[in-house]
Amino acid sequence: MHSKTLGWILLAPTLLILFLFGVVPFIYVVFVSFHQWNPFGANPNMVFNWANNYRRVVFDAQFITSLQVTAAFVFFAVTSQLILGYALAQAFMRDFPGKSFFRTIHTLPLIMAPIIVGSVWKLMTTPSIGIIPNLLSNWFGYDLNIGQSATQAFITTVVMDIWHWTPLVTLTMIAALVSLPPDPFEQAQIDGANRRQIFWHITLPMIRPAILATLFIRLMDAMRTVDEVLMLTGGGPGSATRYVGVHIFKEVFPRTNYGYGSAISVVVLYLTIVVCWLMYVGLIAPRNKGKG
Amino acid sequence: MKPERRPGFLPIQTNWFDRLFISVVLWVALSLFWLRFLEPLGLSIWICVAISLILAAVIIRRG
Repeated sequence: MHSKTLGWILLAPTLLILFLFGVVPFIYVVFVSFHQWNPFGANPNMVFNWANNYRRVVFDAQFITSLQVTAAFVFFAVTSQLILGYALAQAFMRDFPGKSFFRTIHTLPLIMAPIIVGSVWKLMTTPSIGIIPNLLSNWFGYDLNIGQSATQAFITTVVMDIWHWTPLVTLTMIAALVSLPPDPFEQAQIDGANRRQIFWHITLPMIRPAILATLFIRLMDAMRTVDEVLMLTGGGPGSATRYVGVHIFKEVFPRTNYGYGSAISVVVLYLTIVVCWLMYVGLIAPRNKGKG
Repeated sequence: MKPERRPGFLPIQTNWFDRLFISVVLWVALSLFWLRFLEPLGLSIWICVAISLILAAVIIRRG
C-alpha cells in the first residue's frame, strides 16, 4: 500500500474523534450563539436572533469586568508558575537527601481533580476553622477573610492555581533540562562564563521550546478556570474572582441562557486563540520577510 | 502546509490558510468593535461585513 494512503488510514480514527468531539461541538456552539434559546423559559424553542447575543456581549459590563480580572489572574498565576517551576526543576536537578521523595510528593496536587482542590482550599481558608487564617492570625496578626476582602480572594485563587499547576511546569522543565547536552556548558565553563551568563546565553535558549509549550498550555488552561474558583469563592466577593469561565457557568447553568452563554463562549475562545496566536507569531514564527 | 516564499505585505511568512485565519480574526475583531462603538451611531453591521470581506480578499491575495 502506498505510504501516504497508509498514513491517512492510520490517522483516520484520530481525525474522526477530533472532528466529532472538537469541530462538531464548536460548530454547534457557534450555531446556538446566533439564537435566543432558553429551553426552560416561556418559549423553549430556538429562535434565530442574528447577532443580538453578540450585541449584548459587547455591552455586558459584568463580562468586561470578568475579562479584566481573568487577564490579571492569568498574568500573575502563569508568570509565577513558570518562575517557580523552573526554580524547582533546577533544585531537583541537584542531589540532596530525600530528593526522590520530594520529587514524588511535589506532583501530588497534579493528580487532584480541580473541584477537590477548590474544596480543600475552601476548608483551609474558612475563617475560624481553616488552618491558613489561623496561622496567619497567630503568627503575623493578619486577618484572612476571603468572603469579605476582594483582594484577599483574588490572591488566594492565584495562590491556589500556583499550588495546583506549578508541578506540571516543574516536570516539563526537568524533562527539558535533563535532555540538554553537557558539551555547551563545559565549553562555557572553560571559557570562563559565570552562572548568570550560562543561564541567559545557553540554558534559556536551549529550553525555550519547552518553556513556550508550557506557557501556551498553562495560558489556555488558566483562561478557562472554573471549578476550583467556583468551589473556593463562587466568583465573589462582588465580582473579584468572577473569571470568564465562572461568568459563563453562571450565565448558562443557573439562568439556562444557552444562546447568550454560547456567544460569550465563542468570544472567549476567540480571545484565547488570538492571544496564543499573537504569542506564537511574536515568539516562535520565523521573521524572514523579504527573503522570499 | 509549508509557508510560501512570496513577498506580501504581512510581516510574517504565510500560506493561504494563515491568511484566511488572519482574515477571520480581523473580521471578528472588526465586528465586535463595530457592534460596540459604531452601530450605536447608526452605521449598519452590513457595512462592517462588506469591509471585512474586502479586507479578507486583499489579505488572501496580497498578504
